[in-house]
Amino acid sequence: MIPDLFNSGGMPALELGLRFAAERQKLLASNIANLNTPNYRPLDVSTRDFQAALARAIDDRRAAGPAGQAGSARGPSAAEPFFKDTNEVRVGPDGRLELSPRTASGNILFHDRNNRDLERNMQALAENSAYFRTSAELLRSRFEILRTAISQRV
Amino acid sequence: MYGLLDISTSGMIAQRTRLAVSAANLANRNTVFDAQGNFSPYRARRVVFAPGDPSAQNPAARTMGVHVAQISLDQSDFNYRYDPGNPNAIQTGPRQGYVPEPNVNPVVEQMNAMEAGRAYEANVAAAEATKAMVAQALRLLA
Repeated sequence: MIPDLFNSGGMPALELGLRFAAERQKLLASNIANLNTPNYRPLDVSTRDFQAALARAIDDRRAAGPAGQAGSARGPSAAEPFFKDTNEVRVGPDGRLELSPRTASGNILFHDRNNRDLERNMQALAENSAYFRTSAELLRSRFEILRTAISQRV
Repeated sequence: MYGLLDISTSGMIAQRTRLAVSAANLANRNTVFDAQGNFSPYRARRVVFAPGDPSAQNPAARTMGVHVAQISLDQSDFNYRYDPGNPNAIQTGPRQGYVPEPNVNPVVEQMNAMEAGRAYEANVAAAEATKAMVAQALRLLA
């Protein structure tokens, strides 16, 4: 019952979104740190692919039926993995997300053999923090709902 | 989450070093003696960056940050100024009467300093975004 409390509705998806954004932030920050490093190629993962995989995971979960419903086929619980690994995003043994980023191509190669693209990177950074903020706010409102429900009981 | 800030910090440290080296080059633009007082014109210093930050405490920053791999000497030719009366002028050879002076190009240094300043700002912006995210995550608990 208690694990399902945090594993129902949108919570696993929101949590995964937070972890993905935190890991991606590392890549974006390192791209900016290496703005002038010779031979460095910016790294990134595709948010589109991640979100498509997340959407598939949510659909699978819905199809499996609601979790914690007595008698019915139970949906995936905390013990079972919710997210199916993709080429780029893998859930590690300790629950952390492991990203295998691609090197970006397309922008011109500068003389130091670095194809940096500061504007794109800053855009990605802004998008990533907005995604993180949205997930955090939604998760927070979920917690508020739980808190309200609990406080009605005691 | 905290390892994130290490990455941006390593970028700021690297760019600050680059700015300091540019400042040192400009300051020594007319230095022709070394610290021991021997005649040896100053050579411009160049900062070389490499990915990864071996000094970082956090494993994430150790592979993802940036560090100054070396500060190398610019081996390009000195600037030669014709000054036959100067005691340091070259006595023989094709450059007789010329005095070697540091190979510091103020335009190059200015460019380097501007680029370092802008890159530093970019790192600060990334650190600000990360800080906002950390604050958001902490608000989940409150």
